[in-house]
Amino acid sequence: MIAIPYFTALTTYFSYGLLFVFGQFRDFFRKILDWWSTDNLQGYAPICLGLEDFYIRRLYNRVQDCFGRPLSSAPDAWFDVVERYSNDNNKTLKRTNNVSRCLNLGSYNYLGFAAADEYCTPRVIDSLKKYSHSTCSSRVDGGTLALHNELEECVARFVGKPAAIVFGMGYVTNSSILPVLMGKGSLIISDSLNHNSIVNGARGSGATIRVFQHNTPSHLEEVLREQIAEGQPRTRRPWKKIMVVVEGIYSMEGELCKLPEIIAICKRYKAYTYLDEAHSIGAVGKTGRGVCELLGVDTSDVDIMMGTFSKSFGSYGGYIAGSKELIQYLKYNCPAHLYATSISPPAAEQIISAIQVVIGEDGSCRGAQKLARIRENSNFFRSKLQKMGFEVLGDNDSPVMPIMVYNPAKVSSFSRECLKQNVAIVTVGFPATPLLLARARICISASHTKEDLIEALEVINRIGDLVGIKYFPAEPKKQQQVGMLKLE
Amino acid sequence: MMANLYVKATPPADLNRNTEWFTYPGVWTTYILILFFAWLIVLSVFGCSPGMAWTIVNLAHFLITYHFFHWKKGTPFAEDQGIYNGLTWWEQIDNGQQLTRNRKFLTVVPVVLYLIASHTTDYQHPMLFFNTLAVFVLVVAKFPNMHKVRIFGINADK
Repeated sequence: MIAIPYFTALTTYFSYGLLFVFGQFRDFFRKILDWWSTDNLQGYAPICLGLEDFYIRRLYNRVQDCFGRPLSSAPDAWFDVVERYSNDNNKTLKRTNNVSRCLNLGSYNYLGFAAADEYCTPRVIDSLKKYSHSTCSSRVDGGTLALHNELEECVARFVGKPAAIVFGMGYVTNSSILPVLMGKGSLIISDSLNHNSIVNGARGSGATIRVFQHNTPSHLEEVLREQIAEGQPRTRRPWKKIMVVVEGIYSMEGELCKLPEIIAICKRYKAYTYLDEAHSIGAVGKTGRGVCELLGVDTSDVDIMMGTFSKSFGSYGGYIAGSKELIQYLKYNCPAHLYATSISPPAAEQIISAIQVVIGEDGSCRGAQKLARIRENSNFFRSKLQKMGFEVLGDNDSPVMPIMVYNPAKVSSFSRECLKQNVAIVTVGFPATPLLLARARICISASHTKEDLIEALEVINRIGDLVGIKYFPAEPKKQQQVGMLKLE
Repeated sequence: MMANLYVKATPPADLNRNTEWFTYPGVWTTYILILFFAWLIVLSVFGCSPGMAWTIVNLAHFLITYHFFHWKKGTPFAEDQGIYNGLTWWEQIDNGQQLTRNRKFLTVVPVVLYLIASHTTDYQHPMLFFNTLAVFVLVVAKFPNMHKVRIFGINADK
């Protein structure tokens, strides 16, 4: 639940209104000036229709230097950010040859596999030499290696389901599986803050889509009852199937899904459940098996479990785990399996080795250490930030922590000031988040040491005071209170 | 610091990024404050009587809100792939549901402005005529029966 000070809400609306008015004025004058010059369209239609790119041209381009910063090293705990400058007020940015070594608080590097790892990297290089970098064909056409079968078995065992299927891209996994499973006459009920890949997959499937309020099982029950009672639109026939799509950890909120309640409701109304564990697999849970383990939900209660390998395992790709019949059906029908290139062999080897490290099959206890470290780091960082007076979202144990910033000017100045102090932070604003709720999102990794985190906390504390985003009262330090009592 | 009143901001189940900002707390107050400060600025810049200032605010409000609520169609981003390209902002809010709280508030504001403007000018012509025209057009444009209606094909899709 986000509590925003009322005065901040008013000033944020006013800031956006002012930016909008300035943008409209500039567009108006641009239209007048362009009336005199000839257009060089040469008979082609214009790329953008009307005001479609107003947001990009007039709001995003002003603060473009805060987004899409180029790097020149692997995204480990410390990395090199290339410095850029602009001569025309951020409309174009030019790279220089200088790099600054910054602390990485933005990469999804939950277990620290993003840089070279002592167990995984030699194996990956071996598989690159043995299998080459790509199979250059789809899975059914000659692109299935022994490595792919081993990977699917390994993933199924890790997640706790009978079988699994892997794809080359995480976004594609969602957007090509949902059309295969659901068609016309089915109903998809998805959380209101679901990721764009799920929204695209649902829209492409042709099924009816309903949205329930974020993480509110009571509203889900209300929507389910209303839809089951009404049936399909216009014909009023019963739905062919109903699927509820939720995520394990929501990447913009850092919140865990209320999985036990949602599963109970789905069982009562006989709806299927689809759990997207992109940010939670490998990062939460005692042995890293994701949000089901953390919340004590049996994996056989969730019908379809989906996840990606780019966040915790340092690779790329996505998987779907479910019953044997489901995976067999997907192998015959899913376009990403039939037509898309299979996952690259070194990437597959990286996933297998990373899973072996996490489970402990490589003979060391590095996996357990990493999991313990990320839990400690996240809880330490979150509690310290809350004590300083920042408004931090997310549940305990979640490695994603957004700090609320609200005002558009504060978003860009926070990002720039932190970069000057060599801390690289990702900030997100409208339209990825709702208009009022712009935030800076921090992702903790197992490769951050305590000293890194303490230094980051000092920098964020100073800049938070400078920019003015400490919306909650800070907790006073205990020694000062004791001192004041003694004086009296 | 002003009294630390906090309000809860729950994300609504509205997928249209162009209109969901209107459902958050604080929007109505900001709207009213903008009108009030605009009146103060007009008074200080033009040095006219308070009644003339309210008339100017009323007419400027008419032009701006008519242009942005009832004339401009679509959304300022391309990510929604143009599903709202045929709808004005007024037709998009609250997912097309009629007679919600937001819509009732937005219908009442021009009427209240009209009453203030005509009272402070003592119902004299020609200000009364322009004020009446403004409020008539704005209120008729917001009727539920006018949803997706394009009179004589003005502003219809090509």
